[in-house]
Amino acid sequence: MRSLVAYRMLLHDRASTAGSVLGVVAILFLVGQQLSTMFGLFTYMSVLVDHSDADIWICGKFTDNANSTGQLPTRYVDRINGLAEIEWSEPVITTAGETRRKDGKSEGVVVVGLPAPRLSGGPWAFEQGSIESLLDYDGITVDNRDLELFGNPELGDVFEVNKKRVRINAVTKKITSFGGTLVFTNRTKAREISNLPPGRCSYILVKLKPEVDVDEAIAKIRALLPRAEVFPKDVLSRLTRAYYLINTGIGFSFGFTTLMSSLVGIVIITLTMYTSILNREKDFAVLRALGGRKKDIFVIVLYQAVMIAAVGIFLGFLLLAFFLNGTRDSNLASFVPLWFPFVHAAFTLALCLVGSLFAIRRATRIEPATAFR
Amino acid sequence: MPKPILELEGISRDFSDGKVTQRVLSDVNLAFYAGEFAIVAGPSGSGKTTLLSIMGLILRPSEGRIFIQGQDVTDLPEDKEATLRLENFGFVFQTPTEIPALTIIENILVANAVQGTKLPRGLKEKALTLLGDFGLSEYAYVKPRTLSTGQKQRVAIARALINDPVLVLCDEPTSALDAESSAVVLDTLKQLSRDDRRGVVLVTHDPRVFPYGDRLITLEHGAVVHDSRETVRERAPA
Repeated sequence: MRSLVAYRMLLHDRASTAGSVLGVVAILFLVGQQLSTMFGLFTYMSVLVDHSDADIWICGKFTDNANSTGQLPTRYVDRINGLAEIEWSEPVITTAGETRRKDGKSEGVVVVGLPAPRLSGGPWAFEQGSIESLLDYDGITVDNRDLELFGNPELGDVFEVNKKRVRINAVTKKITSFGGTLVFTNRTKAREISNLPPGRCSYILVKLKPEVDVDEAIAKIRALLPRAEVFPKDVLSRLTRAYYLINTGIGFSFGFTTLMSSLVGIVIITLTMYTSILNREKDFAVLRALGGRKKDIFVIVLYQAVMIAAVGIFLGFLLLAFFLNGTRDSNLASFVPLWFPFVHAAFTLALCLVGSLFAIRRATRIEPATAFR
Repeated sequence: MPKPILELEGISRDFSDGKVTQRVLSDVNLAFYAGEFAIVAGPSGSGKTTLLSIMGLILRPSEGRIFIQGQDVTDLPEDKEATLRLENFGFVFQTPTEIPALTIIENILVANAVQGTKLPRGLKEKALTLLGDFGLSEYAYVKPRTLSTGQKQRVAIARALINDPVLVLCDEPTSALDAESSAVVLDTLKQLSRDDRRGVVLVTHDPRVFPYGDRLITLEHGAVVHDSRETVRERAPA
């Protein structure tokens, strides 16, 4: 009966209920939008690590993020190839570049040079062409999201990176880096484009044999290469994200806007639910006079908070889904991990309950004697 | 001598605004019985509603003891008071107090299930029977706003009866009604008081209500100045 009373009161007080639901929707959508953008940016930050088909990254000393790995000697590959645990290891070159478009404008790019013929660490999704096209000496990829930046070129178009001739042989699909526009080519072309001296590379990718213990392999590699940083893939991914979160203003910015969005939502919920209780003061007094205890009133208002949260969370997720779907093919970074909807729903429910505390407190303090007034 | 349903011993009640304390009830000693329609009369501010609130365990007395069927309930915790209230009393308030969000029948049933207990088997049928007794069957599933004030007060009486209370407490139930509706409500309460399982106590300042009661208690300045039951007992031969 208490849940029925709660539900009916909500329906009866449409304006207050709508206001409270709006507060929940605000929390869920605004926080969700912020965090989905942040998670999207996370994926950009560590995109090369996350999608590399390697188990281990070997980088220059003091490397703390995958987009700035320093340099190391290519001969390190020979030193570690003798280890039984290793299936293969390949050096990769990354360098900053400047392209000149057909119309004369220039764009900055990050060039990733992949070792032939395996082309490990390379692009994983294509809209046009395939990874094999990078075996062509001049071959380069551009991403479908960056086509406009390059003046909407077509496959086979030729342009320059750092005044070196390249040909668009493939168009990747939604491969974006936090560090800038990503283009992939073969290592030979990348060395030509960069100022990297011969015998140097940016990092080394290592694939272990099946069933090999990663930590043991890493220990052995570290023993062989004391002047390099050796990371398991997931650790480097986490470090890279942490680097940008802490060292740029991103963490604070997202954290602050998430906090503000939550506060706005809580304030809306608090005010609307409290107002609703004031409007229903006589009803609650009557319920108390009829034999309702304080805890029964508490349960009724709590039911209301949960119902409001449920509707608001549903509508909020609907809105968020529309937003994410609408921006799926845009340059806006958006990503929602599998666990996020559940955690976010729980978080929003918790905030709604926090917002309802004042209303609960007010309702449980209504004296039954008020029914006589 | 029948045993009283409710006894008040030395009941006093003070109200304070932090600066001034006012004694609203002073040393009230009363007992109420089943089969009795008691009317508590007095001018505004005489303490009638405060007395009713204390009787219904809604307000605590500043002094004195309350007994329900011989049990001292004066110092019970709030939760137990609420449960006793639900089990023993039915209330009819001065103005209709149906919860507008609930249908008529839900308003009656909530008086039984407000503590979250499951509705007993047959209670819904009992509620419908009560509505039928008051000529309100057709309104069972509508919201209170479609009813007149007189109809709402009859619903309030039906709600007050749903738990078979030993005492029905009415706070000026006819003050908002016209003469015809008042008569209907008072007749209904009179009929209820004939049941020897329960008593009815009605608080009013309207002398037109007095003839309906079996017993008249008059309050002035918080004290009982007249109790027709005592007068009858005094006059009765030893």
